Amino acid sequence: MNAAPAIEALGLAKRFGRRTALEDLSMTVGRGEVFGFLGPNGAGKTTAVKLLLGLIRATSGAAEVLGAPLGDLEARRSIGYLPELFRYQEWLTAREVLHFHANLIGIPRSGRRRMAAEALDAVGLTSRADSRVASFSKGMQQRLGIAVAILGEPELIFLDEPTSALDPVGRRDVRGIVERLRARGATVFLNSHLLTEVERVCDRVAFVDAGRVIAEGSIDEILGAPREVRLRLGNVGEAGETLLRALGLCRSDPPWYTMRGLVDERIPSAIEQLVAAGVSIYAVESARATLEDRFLQLLTENDEDPSDHHDHNS
Amino acid sequence: MKILAITTITILEIVRRRVASIVGIATLLGVVAVAWGFYRINKDAYNPISAVAFESALTILVAFAFSVVLAVGASFLAAPAIAADLDSGIALAVLPRPVSRTEYVLGKWLGIALTICCYAIVAGVLGFAGVRFGGYHPPHEVKALAFLLAQSVALFTLALVLGTRLPAIAAGIVAVAVFGASWIAGITASVAQSLNASALEHAAQLAGLVFPTDGLWRGVVFELTPAAALVAESTTAAHQINPFGVTAPPTIAFLVWCALWVLAVLAIGTVSMRKRDI
Repeated sequence: MNAAPAIEALGLAKRFGRRTALEDLSMTVGRGEVFGFLGPNGAGKTTAVKLLLGLIRATSGAAEVLGAPLGDLEARRSIGYLPELFRYQEWLTAREVLHFHANLIGIPRSGRRRMAAEALDAVGLTSRADSRVASFSKGMQQRLGIAVAILGEPELIFLDEPTSALDPVGRRDVRGIVERLRARGATVFLNSHLLTEVERVCDRVAFVDAGRVIAEGSIDEILGAPREVRLRLGNVGEAGETLLRALGLCRSDPPWYTMRGLVDERIPSAIEQLVAAGVSIYAVESARATLEDRFLQLLTENDEDPSDHHDHNS
Repeated sequence: MKILAITTITILEIVRRRVASIVGIATLLGVVAVAWGFYRINKDAYNPISAVAFESALTILVAFAFSVVLAVGASFLAAPAIAADLDSGIALAVLPRPVSRTEYVLGKWLGIALTICCYAIVAGVLGFAGVRFGGYHPPHEVKALAFLLAQSVALFTLALVLGTRLPAIAAGIVAVAVFGASWIAGITASVAQSLNASALEHAAQLAGLVFPTDGLWRGVVFELTPAAALVAESTTAAHQINPFGVTAPPTIAFLVWCALWVLAVLAIGTVSMRKRDI
């Protein structure tokens, strides 16, 4: 494994005729990161993934994936991909699909059976390994697509909307798969509309809108520090009320009391003071914006930006 | 070796989609019908020379029917080979793998070529066996079959390559239209020659070079025409206006042109595939 970032893009742009699908995509994804790539429909997310995979050619800009130029065949051995609009050969069985891809990756014949079995097991398709893809539901086909993407332990895995056809159990399974990929040091590039999923598994995220990255950073950087702390309390006497006001009480709806300005470092001492004042404490919650709140806020800000007057589409 | 992986999956698709079994059954029925038809010809109704002329004409007619089935079948087999993968999204899963677009196109081409060759050889051998069973021994069956194969290869190569840019159904229709246009160009050239219309003749000949399938079909006709009939064809004025008749085999230069044509179309297909967005 070389030391280059998993993905490094500089000014990557793609235009289809007069339509700009992606404009000036610059970003770096480090090795071993789970990176969320978020944006509204038509923002250019899938276009970006296709560019990075060499499926479409950039109009301008440059990028490297695993330290190699886009489309490099050797680098592709270490890349897995689940397309958003996936389809696999319906006349094959699930095991045959994996054997075919194992052959394309260059996995020796002796190792194909084991690797295919491991990939099928990871997505819970072992019992349907010898069923034709034609008999699979949409969710099962998506599981098969994930198995294809993780086949052969790739260093970089692109998952484009991996949970779009999955039920809650399937989504939980995908989170588990992503966690296991992270644990073995793989890089995961995750396109998803399900922001709660992204918030749970991603180390860093980038928001893209109208073909441009409008925000990028770790989840904490994107969401900022918690704005409020909510306490569920009992036995709040007069002394307790006084103490709460001193600590920054902004709203009280017993048994819930909301504090503003109570930074993380002061929470333990505040709790000690409340206990000493005879207050019973049942719950303490940091309340901060969700990724969805931040996502909508960024889109609104971007729409209001007077410099943002370019065509876009995916 | 990636080419062979693509070739294998292409052949497997044809087998699993039951194309091979359906075409196989239809072919067997056709062979039985041909054998029965030749067997039922009442040779006593003709003098020996007329009987051979009749049977050779009938053999060429059967070969023409087979050539149409082979050409149309090959076109509609090849047209979706790449186009359907692109339309359905299968290509999105395959092409990010370490397989070049050239390997992908060549793998598809080889898979269809092997399938068509196997089918044409088996069906051709059975067809000629059926004719022989009926009591007629056509001349130069192997060469005729080789020309039939070459015609199919040229046409399916065109259909496959068109599929890199057109939807499957459009690619298939265009290839079949080219097959028909080439055949009409060949007839037009013959008629123009007999009428001494040199400008029309040259235009038709040029069309025959751009789409060389009819030239290869004429190779089939030549190889299946008995020597006596060829002599009569070339010396009798009445035969000289037969637009379907052939008096000489395709030249070596034409055959080389056909080989180059297939290679050039295939090269265009690989470039077209490399240049396109998926």
